[in-house]
Amino acid sequence: MALLEVRELSVTYRPRDAAHVHAVDRVGFDVDEGEFVGLLGESGCGKSTLGNAVLRLLDKPAAISGGSVVFDGVDVTHASEEDLRPLRWARISTVFQSSMNALNPVITVGAQFDDAFRAHDAQGDAAALMEMVALDPDVLRRYPHELSGGMRQRAALALALALRPKFVLLDEPTTGLDVVVQRTILDRLRELRAELGFAVLFISHDLGTVMEMADRVMVMYAGEIVEDQPAAAMLTRPLHPYTRGLLGSYADPRAAEVSVDYVPGRPPDLSREQTGCRFRERCPVAVAACATTHPPLAPAGPGAVRCVLGGDLPEAGQARAFSPDRPELTTTAPGEPVVSVREVVKDYRVRRGWRTTVTRAVDRVSFDLRPGRVTALVGQSGSGKTTLARLVTGIERPTSGTVAFGDLDVGGLRGRRLTRYRRHVQIVFQDPFAALNPTRTVGYALARPLRNHLGLGERAAVEKAAELLEAVGLHPAEQYLDKLPHQLSGGQRQRVVIARALAPEPSVLVADEPISMLDVSIRAEILQLLDRLARDRGIAMLYITHDLLSARLLADEVIVLRDGRVVESGPALRVIRHAEHAYTKLLLDSIPTLTRTL
Amino acid sequence: MTAELAATEARRATRLPGWLVILWRNRKCRIGLVMLAGFVLVGLLAPGLAPYEPRDDSFDGSLPPGAGHWLGTTARGEDVLSQLIYGARISLVVGLAAGALSTVIALVVGLTSGYLGGLVDEILSFFTNLALVVPVLPLMITLAAYSPVKGLWLIVAVISVTGWAYGARIKRAQIISLRTRDYVTAAKFAGDSTARIIMKEIMPNMTSLVVVGFMGACLGAIGGEAGLAFLGLGDPASVSWGAMLNQANNGGAMLTGQWAWLVAPGLAFAGLMIALTLVNFGVDALSNPHLRED
Repeated sequence: MALLEVRELSVTYRPRDAAHVHAVDRVGFDVDEGEFVGLLGESGCGKSTLGNAVLRLLDKPAAISGGSVVFDGVDVTHASEEDLRPLRWARISTVFQSSMNALNPVITVGAQFDDAFRAHDAQGDAAALMEMVALDPDVLRRYPHELSGGMRQRAALALALALRPKFVLLDEPTTGLDVVVQRTILDRLRELRAELGFAVLFISHDLGTVMEMADRVMVMYAGEIVEDQPAAAMLTRPLHPYTRGLLGSYADPRAAEVSVDYVPGRPPDLSREQTGCRFRERCPVAVAACATTHPPLAPAGPGAVRCVLGGDLPEAGQARAFSPDRPELTTTAPGEPVVSVREVVKDYRVRRGWRTTVTRAVDRVSFDLRPGRVTALVGQSGSGKTTLARLVTGIERPTSGTVAFGDLDVGGLRGRRLTRYRRHVQIVFQDPFAALNPTRTVGYALARPLRNHLGLGERAAVEKAAELLEAVGLHPAEQYLDKLPHQLSGGQRQRVVIARALAPEPSVLVADEPISMLDVSIRAEILQLLDRLARDRGIAMLYITHDLLSARLLADEVIVLRDGRVVESGPALRVIRHAEHAYTKLLLDSIPTLTRTL
Repeated sequence: MTAELAATEARRATRLPGWLVILWRNRKCRIGLVMLAGFVLVGLLAPGLAPYEPRDDSFDGSLPPGAGHWLGTTARGEDVLSQLIYGARISLVVGLAAGALSTVIALVVGLTSGYLGGLVDEILSFFTNLALVVPVLPLMITLAAYSPVKGLWLIVAVISVTGWAYGARIKRAQIISLRTRDYVTAAKFAGDSTARIIMKEIMPNMTSLVVVGFMGACLGAIGGEAGLAFLGLGDPASVSWGAMLNQANNGGAMLTGQWAWLVAPGLAFAGLMIALTLVNFGVDALSNPHLRED
């Protein structure tokens, strides 16, 4: 008998105002004692809902609509809350993505360990637990707000392991942390599991971390498990076309040739009845039978797959691949710089009581932005990349040094002159869900810059807006003009955000982590779009990221920042493939690599 | 997700406006809406419903409730039921007008100080805080007693001037959180003016908050009017529930056994307050989608 047995589990969301959604549809799997299982899937595929159902933490309007979860002989699905209480945390515990915010802010970290011990009449050594996750025992006396995000997440992990559970559910435990912090947490997790021998269900959309950590990986798509096999085997021979697509979206930035694939389209609407294979509309190797047959999860290779082809995938051309192919760059001379940043310094003054502390966010940074070229700013969170973007766009003024746009000193602009400058410098935001007003249509969002900056009339603005939508690949444009943001997917919204930034025909585009909130399967698509727009329209782009793979794909030049200072800069290929500075190497080494498991 | 979006979702199922569907589905709110509609109808149809003129004092004084006068007559010989029916008009008009006026003041002050920040915020916040800590009832009494003009609109003005501060505070807090959203920055980069950003980008995201504030202000205004009228500072030319209570008190209704003269306006007043409070439960669901799943 396995430690965790999930059989025919279904979860349905039944909101009062919308159609019912079958988020998890008859899912079954086992997790053995001490096994590390990865659950991989893109947003909306039901992976977190499945995790919450296993813990029986679903909240209205979601509810388990069928099947069972048996943990260590206890039927979790039908047990009373009183019967679940001794089970939770003592034998089955969890770390959520937001666990760092789940610590109680008004009591010390140590008091939260005491609570966990007392609730289960257990004895434990909180200090030893902290040392286990590489934190100083002194942290126990501190309050959560005094700790960084990574420290809080490690404290949450220590708390989850406090009662020596047999099973830990990790739901995106490192998403939102930067690569270096993620690396330390994953390394500790691996050592702890070897030491304590607990079983893990590791839920993530990040292929790299899942593949690196898990013994066995399950891939979820549209509420179903579509593939289940050992991680190493999955890497060499994926059984499902979706898995192959996901693996294709990953590459080692240090390789000589880098090319990434993407899976076009979006998952099906789960509020409708599904016939046939749910992946067929995005599948590059679909056959006629896919439309009618809903394949079962059948044994194939060393695991199982839910595919009509039964794991024997034919070779498909890399038609949708995106690889930086720019031989002309080395030959043509770079144009005159559009924006010149010279020796800029930005200090922030923080007054705490009588003392004023000065934090230097940016320290003597210089670079140029040239037409048709992409410059990437790379660094951990807090390295000053976003502050530099704010200086370039004129939102902030430099403490010293200059930001020049042609002859114009950007730091001295105010009021109307600043508005006029913004015609030439536009932003693509990180979060496409926050960058569009939920109450305004796509047409309105696009018309504003056209009417303000280009002085177009109402009708001309609508025509131009439609053109822009076509340019970013939203076709047919008429269909999108009257849509509200919530009617669009994340990728479509980001395209609208890009179209809005292009509207006033800017010469500089600042893209602040434009793909980090998007699903892995569509990131390459947006990168390709940005690449094409910058080259074709001769826009100088400042690309801000902590992801070196996307920097390698998109950028001509890379600037590595640490604590507001430039530690290394130069052509993208040289900086990433032959990094000289120790910090650049650390960033590169922190990236989870697929090959490490082999 | 904001209330507006959810309202769009709800609209799909029926032809009614989405916000009405959400309000109607909440049982408490449904009762409140029916009660409120009753009061509004009584107010609108007062001339038809009331058996006599409210100021007609041609009857015998201090009659107990009976066949001719269901709720008896006042010490001066007016019909209590007719006064009660006409009184609904005053309460509703004062509630609506003063509620609307104080909401407008709260919006202007709250939005300006929240969006602009800095010195303007400091100054406006000072006045908001001042208005919050000044005891409202004595201030209202003073303003109403020493005002050179009397009448219904004075009452409305006094209530609005003393009741805007709490709403302004809430709206300021909301706009501070909204003004740093990416889409507001995007509107700045699109070249929109500050006024346009506030009206077109921010305001539509605060409608449910404004509605809740308006309902609360109405409630306060109705109570304020009753209080002033009870103290004899109301509009002498109109019959309101507060004025009825004042006269019942002065006329010794308890001593003469005129219980209906005293109890009826009190009950009517309590009923209207309950109706508005119940409606507010539904409005809460409008601004917080999570409350709708119950």
